[in-house]
Amino acid sequence: MNALLNVINAELFKVVRKRRVYILAFLWWVILPVLILFVARILLQNLSTNFVENSSPIAPSTIVETLASPFGIARISLMLPSVISPSFYMMVLALLAALFIGDERSQNMWKTTLTAQPNRLSVIFGKFFAAMIVYGVLLFGGFLLSFLYGAIGMLPLPFLSLPTSFSGEWLGLLKLYALQWLFGSAGMFFAFLMIWLLRNAVLGIIAILFAPPILEGIYTIYATLVGFQPVNRINLVFQTLRLRKTLEELPRYFFTNNLYAPARKPLSEIVGALGVNPGSNSGDLGPLGAILGNGITLQSSALVITGYALIFGLIMLWRFTREDVS
Amino acid sequence: MSAISAQNLTKRYGKKHAVDGISFDIEQGEIVGFLGPNGAGKTTTLRMLAGLIKPSKGSSTILGKKVPSSSLLEVGTMIEEPSFYGYMTGRDNLRHAAKMHGGVSDKHIDEMLSFVSMDQASNKRVRAYSQGMRQRLGLARALLWRPKVLLLDEPTNGLDPVGIAEIRENLRTIAHEGVTILISSHILAELEKLVERILAVERGKLLYDGPLQQMLKRIDEKTVTYFLDALNPDALKYALSHLNIDFQSLDGGAIQVVIPQNDAASVISRLIQEGVQLIEARRITDNLEGAYLRLLKEDGRPV
Repeated sequence: MNALLNVINAELFKVVRKRRVYILAFLWWVILPVLILFVARILLQNLSTNFVENSSPIAPSTIVETLASPFGIARISLMLPSVISPSFYMMVLALLAALFIGDERSQNMWKTTLTAQPNRLSVIFGKFFAAMIVYGVLLFGGFLLSFLYGAIGMLPLPFLSLPTSFSGEWLGLLKLYALQWLFGSAGMFFAFLMIWLLRNAVLGIIAILFAPPILEGIYTIYATLVGFQPVNRINLVFQTLRLRKTLEELPRYFFTNNLYAPARKPLSEIVGALGVNPGSNSGDLGPLGAILGNGITLQSSALVITGYALIFGLIMLWRFTREDVS
Repeated sequence: MSAISAQNLTKRYGKKHAVDGISFDIEQGEIVGFLGPNGAGKTTTLRMLAGLIKPSKGSSTILGKKVPSSSLLEVGTMIEEPSFYGYMTGRDNLRHAAKMHGGVSDKHIDEMLSFVSMDQASNKRVRAYSQGMRQRLGLARALLWRPKVLLLDEPTNGLDPVGIAEIRENLRTIAHEGVTILISSHILAELEKLVERILAVERGKLLYDGPLQQMLKRIDEKTVTYFLDALNPDALKYALSHLNIDFQSLDGGAIQVVIPQNDAASVISRLIQEGVQLIEARRITDNLEGAYLRLLKEDGRPV
C-alpha cells in the first residue's frame, strides 16, 4: 500500500510541473465558460422576443438560462467536450496517459522508474490512479467553476447582466459528472494500453483519438452499403451462426457510444429547451440524431464500459507485469 | 549471505543467447569490475539483476532474496545512459525518484547533489544538461536511498578526465561505507584503479572470475610484453618478421612485442645476432587492458 501511495505522490509531483495540464485546465476552466457567457450575451442582445417565429415561442431569457446560468454552464461543461470530434474527453485522457507513461515508454524511462520502485503493480496502478485524480480535478473543476462564471454572468455590468439564476437539478448533474469520471477509467486504460503497445507517445495519442472512430466507422460504412441481408458470404456466416441480430445491434456496444453516455445525457434536455423534440426520428435531427437517437441507457452503458475497462485493464496489466523493460 | 548472486543466469532472444549460464557470487562490500566487449551480455546481466528483464533460465538473488522482490529497494542502478524528465530540473528529478521510492529526505537529496558536484546546476532543467552532467545526476539518483548494492553500467561515459577522477573518488568513498558495487566500464584503466575483482564475459559466457591481481599475474606468467627500440627500426622489424614474431609499431619507430616468457632472453640475443643495434629493450608490466585483450585472444576472439 505504501508503494502505491509513494507512486501516486511522485506522479502528482510530476504532473504539476507539466505545462500541458495547465493548458487543458485553461481550455476547460476558462475558455469554455467564457465562450458560453459571450454567446449568451450575443443571443440576449440579438434575439427578438420570440426565438422561433410562429411555432414554439421561446423567450431569449429561457435560452440564456439554459446556456449561461451556473447550472447551464456546468451542464455544458460536461456535455460539450463529448460532442466535439475528436472528443475533448479523449484528448484529455490521451494527453494524461502520455504524460504518465509516454516518457517512460518512448524515452527509456521505465528502467529509472522501476528501479526507484520495483513493485510493478504499484507503479502501474499508482500511475493510473494519479491520472484519474488529475482527470477528476479537471472535470470537477469545471463543475465548481460554473458557480463562479454563472455568478459573473449575473453581475450588473453593461456587457453582462444575464437574466439567470442558480436553480437547477444540481445533485443529478453532480451524479452525471461522477459517472463520467468513472466511465473515464475505461478510456484511461485504453489510452495507457495504446501507448504501451505502440511504444511511442505520439503514435499512441493518434491511435487513442482515431482508432475507435475508424473501427466504428468501418462498421457503419459496411452496415450502410451492404446492410445485413444475406447477399454475401460474410452475412451468410453471421446468419448461419445466428449472429445477425448481434451484428445489427453492435453500435450499442461501441466504445465511443458508451464512453460519453453520462456527458451526453443532458443534451436532450438542452435541445428540448431550445425547441427541438429529442423524441423525433433521429434522421430528422441531422448530426444530433447520432448522438441523441441511439437509445442507449446509462445502465447498459455502465455495463458495457465496465466490460471495456476490465478488458483494457487486464491486457495492460498482463503486458506490463510480464514484459522486459528496455 | 552474498550481496549479489547469479545462478546459471541465461537470457535468450530467439535462438541467440545474450547471456549463457553465468554464475557468480559477490560478497557484501566487494567492488567488482564487469568486463566484456560490446554485446558480450554485461548490460543484459545487469538488467536481470535489477529485475528489469526476466531470465530465460536460472535465477539471481540480491541480499539473499530472489529477484524480483523487495530487496530491489536496496539497489541503486545506473544502467546505460541515464534518462530523466527533461522538463523538470535536476533537483526535481531526484525529488520525484525519492518520492517514488519513499523514505528519502530533501536534505539527503541536497547532500547527494553536492556529493556529485551538481549542486550549482541542480535548478536547471535537465534538457539543458550535458552528457557529463546527466551521468553525475544519474549517479546521485542511484545513491538516493542509500542502497546496499550498486549496479553501474558505464558510469563514466561522456565524462571528461576530471569528471572521471571525481566519479572514481565518489565510488571509492561509497565502497568504504560497505556498499557492494558491480561496475562495468570500457575505460579499463579506471576499473584497474577501483576494483578488486574482475568478472569478464564474452559472447554471454563468463571467461574469468577472480581477483584483479591474479588476472594480471596469471597472464603475465605465460607471456611478457617487451618495448624495443633500435638505431634502425626497419632492420628491427625485418629481423622480427624473420623470427616469425608478431609486433606492434609504436610512435617514433619503437616496437612492442608479446613473447613467451621463457623465450625472452633468446629472442633478444637472436635479434643482436641478426645485426639489430638495440638501444632499448624493456619489459612492460601488463595492465588490465593488455591482460583483458589477451584473455579475449586466448578465447579465440580477434583483437
